[in-house]
Amino acid sequence: MTDMKPEHRTSTHLKDATPQQHSEATKKEIEKAERVQSMWSIVWSQFIDHRMAVAGLCVILTFVVIALAAPLISYWVGHHPDDQNAVNRYLKPGEISVLPSSQREDAFIRYSSENLAKAQEVHNALVTAGVLQPVEDQTDVLLELAQKNPEEILAQLNSLPKESVSGLIPVVKAFTRKHILGTDELGRDVLIRLVYGARVSIGVGFLVAFSAGLIGLLVGAIAGYYGGLIDSLMMRFTDSMLALPTLPILIVMSAISLEKTPILRTLIPPSQENIMKLVFVLVVYSWMQTALLVRSSILSLREREFVLAAKTMGATNFSIITRHLFPNVVAPLLVSVTIGVGSSIQFEAALSFLGLGIQQPTPSWGNMLFNAQDLITEAPHLAIVPGLLILILTISVNYLGDGLRDAIDPKSVRR
Amino acid sequence: MTNYIFRRTLQTLIVIGVLSYFCYYMMTLMPGDPVELMIQANPKITSEDITRLRSIYGLDQPIYARYGKWLGTIMNGDLGYSRTYRIPVTEMLGPRLINTFYLSMSALLLSLAIAVPLGVLAALNRGTKLDYGIGLFAFGGISTPSFWLGIVLILIFGVWLKVLPASGTYTVGLDESQMSYWNVFTDRFTYMILPMMTLAYLTIGNFLRFTRSSMLDSMGNDYIRTAKAKGLPWRRVVIFHGFRNALLPLITTITLSFSSVFSGATITETVFAYQGMGRLIYESIISNDFNVAMICVMITVTMVLILNLLADILYSFADPRITLK
Repeated sequence: MTDMKPEHRTSTHLKDATPQQHSEATKKEIEKAERVQSMWSIVWSQFIDHRMAVAGLCVILTFVVIALAAPLISYWVGHHPDDQNAVNRYLKPGEISVLPSSQREDAFIRYSSENLAKAQEVHNALVTAGVLQPVEDQTDVLLELAQKNPEEILAQLNSLPKESVSGLIPVVKAFTRKHILGTDELGRDVLIRLVYGARVSIGVGFLVAFSAGLIGLLVGAIAGYYGGLIDSLMMRFTDSMLALPTLPILIVMSAISLEKTPILRTLIPPSQENIMKLVFVLVVYSWMQTALLVRSSILSLREREFVLAAKTMGATNFSIITRHLFPNVVAPLLVSVTIGVGSSIQFEAALSFLGLGIQQPTPSWGNMLFNAQDLITEAPHLAIVPGLLILILTISVNYLGDGLRDAIDPKSVRR
Repeated sequence: MTNYIFRRTLQTLIVIGVLSYFCYYMMTLMPGDPVELMIQANPKITSEDITRLRSIYGLDQPIYARYGKWLGTIMNGDLGYSRTYRIPVTEMLGPRLINTFYLSMSALLLSLAIAVPLGVLAALNRGTKLDYGIGLFAFGGISTPSFWLGIVLILIFGVWLKVLPASGTYTVGLDESQMSYWNVFTDRFTYMILPMMTLAYLTIGNFLRFTRSSMLDSMGNDYIRTAKAKGLPWRRVVIFHGFRNALLPLITTITLSFSSVFSGATITETVFAYQGMGRLIYESIISNDFNVAMICVMITVTMVLILNLLADILYSFADPRITLK
């Protein structure tokens, strides 16, 4: 396999110095410079020169980490993406929401049924302190307490003996929640929905780009390697697909109902219809660029000596394509997949924004904007933040793709 | 050459034909055909009624038979009725096409007017801070989601500054027949500014990067060195020797963008509630308006494919180095 790797490079600029002048440090430098660099280490060293691309990579990694850590973040801030709170709709960023009294009562009832003895203690303490009078049984006092606003509840509980209320105080504290980015039209916390939305948006973006890359690789490799009729048929098809207007066709395809579609109906379970349909539609529409790119690389590669050598040694077409040609198109493929991630994220957002992609209640950055548009005067941040995240992510992905292309393409001159 | 044009035209026609069948098929897969809507509207409907209705509407026939029938009526010039608006599709299309034409055309011109000079400037100052700044601007254009840009512009100009109308095509309630031509124009123009800005910024990125790279290619040629060596003023070298040759590859991109002049921009028009073709496609598909959706999609597809063909042919005429086989 080593014979097919692109040319190795040794740096020679330090060789001119005479040996006597070498201190320990420069010797090490010379050793380092004289070591044969693999293609990927050259690519890496050129890549880190492109500052914007490195910054983009960092941003993407941060987003991915946040998306992966979504359940942790949800646990940490105490919000769940589907928690609705009808009395606290459209809170401004940084405002605090208070659970409605019915939910406060529910929380107290749950607490007293789980910790009967403790609840009884609090009840007795409240009665002896003369704060509340019991009507019938022990839950009643707590229920009355629940009617007051959380600050009062806390103040009264704090006046009681510590050991009896220690279990109840966290319950009361959970009544008020801080919403760093406010709440949406159903009183759901925007921040945690954005975090979970990152999972969907990034997940769909990567899934679509990788599947499309795989299809593009197969189509491009077969067309390029076999040539002739297969090539021209496949390429006419690819050209025609490329020529189609993107959004109208995507809208038509996303509007179909899977129940009526013959093959997909059996392939995709109804529970995942929402996301898988979108991924399918986007994949169908985004493999062409990769296919063209791979085909043109393969066309030149198949004339090279190592392919001839493999052929004379009796390699089958399949093994020539997969073992000898694929490793050589990995680099351009990587660039094209990276750029594909950016455009997939945008198309997912666009379709979800139109109400044809990811459906509520699953949050995605696109469908969070879908509702936000009608409420632009009441809650402008609902519209601004998700879009800003899409912008930041796609711009990072595009810069990453640009940097990779510059680093991989030996002809590129932008330094 | 003629052989090439003939083959490409034939291919385009075949693609249009195949695609119309594909779209027709897709539309039958959408939820809510006419009979399904009737069933929803009338819970007392019997199964005999359903079979009868399905045969009246021809829904019991195989798809290719229905497609053939539909194609026959289209060829006779009968585009059918819109189910939502109860008017012939032909009456609907006219104003939408005109609206879209004005919007997309002005956006295209605005975007070219900004992108081409900036691209040339970036190429001439390659590697400087200015180049990076322009590059960032271009990247922003490519990466900005159109719906978000639209919403932000509405917020800034429509909600906070209150200088431009947030959405619509013209002021509702004005009697345009009573107004002077100029007043009608200014009224419609104020509604067009925001969508125009949105559309323009989205295309600027591509045009800009394309101009820059094509200008860089062209300025690296030997004839530029010759022109400089013979002592021509710098401006003349840039404009007549560099830019003129850089224009050639631009032709393709510009021709391709022309397709949007008739097909419209679905998302931008939807965000601004602008009554154009793009919004019509979206609306008709959402509201199961089958006749309208089919015609709109076909118009869009045909425009795009024909302009693609035109771009290829134009390019071969413009660049004598290219010979088509």
